[in-house]
Amino acid sequence: MSWEAFANVVIKYWPMFLRGARNTLYISIVSTIIGSLIGLLIGVVRTIPIPERGFKKVLIKIVNAILTVYVEVFRGTPMIVQAMVIFYGSLMAFGIDMEPMFAGIFIVSINTGAYTAEIVRGGIISIDKGQFEAAHAIGMNHRKTMLYVVIPQVIRNILPAIGNEFVINIKDTSVLNVISVTELFFQTKTVVGINYKTFEAFTVASILYLIMTLTVTRILRFIEKRMDGPDNYVVIPGNQMQVARPEDLIKHNKGRQ
Amino acid sequence: MENIIEVQHLSKSFGSNEILKDINFSVNKGEVVCIIGASGSGKSTLLRCINLLEKPTGGKVLYKGRNILDDKHDVYAYRTKLGMVFQQFNLFNNHDVLGNCMIGQLKVLKRSKAEAEETAMKYLKVVGMDQYINAKPRQLSGGQKQRVAIARALSMEPDVMLFDEPTSALDPEMVGEVLAVMKELAESGLTMLVVTHEMGFASEVADRVVFMDKGIIEEEGPPEKIFLNPENERTREFLRRVLKQE
Repeated sequence: MSWEAFANVVIKYWPMFLRGARNTLYISIVSTIIGSLIGLLIGVVRTIPIPERGFKKVLIKIVNAILTVYVEVFRGTPMIVQAMVIFYGSLMAFGIDMEPMFAGIFIVSINTGAYTAEIVRGGIISIDKGQFEAAHAIGMNHRKTMLYVVIPQVIRNILPAIGNEFVINIKDTSVLNVISVTELFFQTKTVVGINYKTFEAFTVASILYLIMTLTVTRILRFIEKRMDGPDNYVVIPGNQMQVARPEDLIKHNKGRQ
Repeated sequence: MENIIEVQHLSKSFGSNEILKDINFSVNKGEVVCIIGASGSGKSTLLRCINLLEKPTGGKVLYKGRNILDDKHDVYAYRTKLGMVFQQFNLFNNHDVLGNCMIGQLKVLKRSKAEAEETAMKYLKVVGMDQYINAKPRQLSGGQKQRVAIARALSMEPDVMLFDEPTSALDPEMVGEVLAVMKELAESGLTMLVVTHEMGFASEVADRVVFMDKGIIEEEGPPEKIFLNPENERTREFLRRVLKQE
């Protein structure tokens, strides 16, 4: 091994690595977003209070049973196996020939959905009962309570966990090489197939993976901070303070910076 | 006198545990009623049964003469007529002070934004929190939170205000500011039903005091009678115990 060999790999094959990294990032971003939306929807549906009787009770129970099966199946089997079953299975059993990229996004999305469904459910359960009661007490029904009070808090609270899912997705899209998605791992394998520089090529790949995950976590941390808003609030001077003294203005402005 | 809320033969059990037994009482328009009694006597449960946060096991709750336990009755519309103030404040954590007082008006009463803001500011002024409209609940002290919670309930312009031990979760030095606001509201002619441990407040502000013990209303009457001349042995015993502590 030498620095020269490294440089050679990078100089010669950087467009391939870059294309792989781009696809990896693309699949993980789209899938994390779609998966989170699926998870949010399922989490909300699974926490609908069940009425004591009537048609609605039966309906909710059936839907919940189906969702439980979905969550358990996709959490309980490896994504690499799901990829094989869905991609080749749909072709052989139903004659559906999917684009590898589409199949990749589909698989990672429903997989992420199964995980985030539980994250969201946990997030909803952990919201203080008093928040629900206060919303009910001012006349909100369950839908309004969820929409205007609970879900905004849940989204803020589960953001770190969603970020975690995102990072996992960046790494786990590598399993999609089994269905020939041209993501980073697949591209690296291709490079190795040409020049047999296994160590060099995969070191480059791991550096690229690390750059992606570190960037993503930093960006998410920033978003979390933005959502929390400023640590201090501005006191609106009341009538008795309409004529502000210069020293108050200085204090006021300092508080804002 | 017009009665706004009337409770008839109300009972409530959690499993085999009977919390309320055959409760009968009413709240008239403009009246301030304080419910006192030991912990576990069913005071809070009674209040929560009135706005249906707990579903009564039996009996009737009449609002302006109509039974709200009727299946056809719109629970959500009914709740907008009752303002509720909780022991633990329960301000919406995702909204700032102004948002807390506006969200119900906007989404439940369908008021316009301008009207909602004007109403919210009016009541935030009443509780003295109009300078803090940008603050988030986590940035406020307990007393401030409770005053905002009162403004939130008032912003819906309800017929009755229900207070569920509004000062029990507060530090002693903050109890005063909340009681002062409540006293002001009582003097303005607002109909109030207050579950409280503050005997001073009850004797000073209430038009009527209800004493509950073990799920039963043992005695009710004007504060002078309950505090100075209680007839019931349990009332006497309770007051002796509580007043000694104070």
